[in-house]
Amino acid sequence: MSARRAAIAGLGMTELGKVYGRTPAEFALEAVSRAAADAGLAPADIDGLLVNPGIGNDTDLRLQATLRLRDLRLLTTVQGFGSSAGQMVQIAAMAIEAGMADVVACVYADAPLKQGAGSGAAYSGAGRAMRGLGSLPAAAGLKTAPARYAMAARRHMETYGTTSEQLGAIAVAARQWAALNPLAQMREPITLEDHQSSRRIADPLRLLDCCLVSNGAIAVIVTSADRAAALAQPPVHVWGWGQAHPGYPAHRGSDFGLVTGAARSGADALKMAGVGVAEIDIRQIYDCFTFTTLITLEDYGFCAKGEGGEFAASGALAPGGSHPTNTGGGQLSSYYMWGMTPLSEAVIQARGQGGARQVAKRDLIMVSGNGGVLDFHSTLILSPHPKAR
Amino acid sequence: MTLTPVERDERSAPFFDAAARGVLLLRYSPSSGMWSEPDALVCGHTGAADLEWRESGGRGHLVSWTVLPGRDAPGTVIGLVELAEGPWLTVRLTDAEGPEVAAGMPVRIGFARPEGGEAMPVGLLHA
Repeated sequence: MSARRAAIAGLGMTELGKVYGRTPAEFALEAVSRAAADAGLAPADIDGLLVNPGIGNDTDLRLQATLRLRDLRLLTTVQGFGSSAGQMVQIAAMAIEAGMADVVACVYADAPLKQGAGSGAAYSGAGRAMRGLGSLPAAAGLKTAPARYAMAARRHMETYGTTSEQLGAIAVAARQWAALNPLAQMREPITLEDHQSSRRIADPLRLLDCCLVSNGAIAVIVTSADRAAALAQPPVHVWGWGQAHPGYPAHRGSDFGLVTGAARSGADALKMAGVGVAEIDIRQIYDCFTFTTLITLEDYGFCAKGEGGEFAASGALAPGGSHPTNTGGGQLSSYYMWGMTPLSEAVIQARGQGGARQVAKRDLIMVSGNGGVLDFHSTLILSPHPKAR
Repeated sequence: MTLTPVERDERSAPFFDAAARGVLLLRYSPSSGMWSEPDALVCGHTGAADLEWRESGGRGHLVSWTVLPGRDAPGTVIGLVELAEGPWLTVRLTDAEGPEVAAGMPVRIGFARPEGGEAMPVGLLHA
């Protein structure tokens, strides 16, 4: 018997960004309903549900009741932070391949933005009690995600000579793509000078090195490749995947800021897909910060270790460049739905539905997810073509 | 930005008692002969559970740092310090301003006691 392979058959997105007055469960309901409709399925066809509750962490298994789903054969929450979307597709693919479930909805929903509060407040952990040894870094002032990523970026700069201008090239390229994406929140063009004069957030990171924060939900429907072929949308086949969670020691010899889980996860995903990194046409890279894009591209092998800065500054990532990357504008400029940002754009590109931003050659798309401070990583290799045996 | 006061709990009591005397404690595993960071529950190298508190020499070098801009005051500099014994500590660099900082600079550990909290380690570049 030949193996049953998985494909993404549906994509559902709510309004994203500064959308207030709706709960994550309401967003999730809409995203899953839209994803099912997109696939040409009824909600009742869903027999598996994977829920990633974001940083708010207040969406859970009760979503089954909200969605009025009966007799599920797979139901759990998945919390791998920014690596969750990739993880959900992987779990769904394994369930499909095992015959455990036939139609699995994977949903991310969160509403961290509060009206009248800044984006930074959503992820600052403000008000957390400072007790015991684990609180010492925060007590010293290392409280926000930008500050912790700044520590990683600075180490890379000191080791390899990476510059702020090179990080800026990543922000500029993302905005160039976003200008072509009607779904993007930030579409005004920016220049390298705009990047260099943007407010310092946590040196070496400036405002334009940092992602947006958005409210909303995105869901995908994963089913078997055979079933997907008979549904409403062109199937997006799952060719390979990987995860790697390095567990950096707080000790001499740690690779923190130098090498991430992307190195292992990417290699595993490419091996499973049976392709080389040079065959990848489009990259959708988790870009919570410009630096995350840079180090992930290095670790995946699109350039040599330490040369990510020069690679980005060459214009390779931008529209018309040799290595189209984050073709929707990424989390820096389009919308911040954790790993659903790169995954949703990968599905759109694989289907050929990218409109003005569609990349012509789209046979293989590599998608990353990154969580913690480069602590958690997932990779997917997707294609509009069924995987050869 | 002022240091945030930290309260002790049962596990951290020896660390903060020593900090009040100006001594940095780390975790040390006699079976491996290796040091781990203060918050370690088992040896970071072998997983051995025989960790005991032992005094650090309080010297190391800077691995990385960030500068958080202040509204009025000069920026807050936070450093990732690799102690000579091996473990990493994240500390405020209380005598640094930012522009002069570079990876590899020697750091000496000192202590500060914010109002309402325990004494906590800080890093000194110019001492």
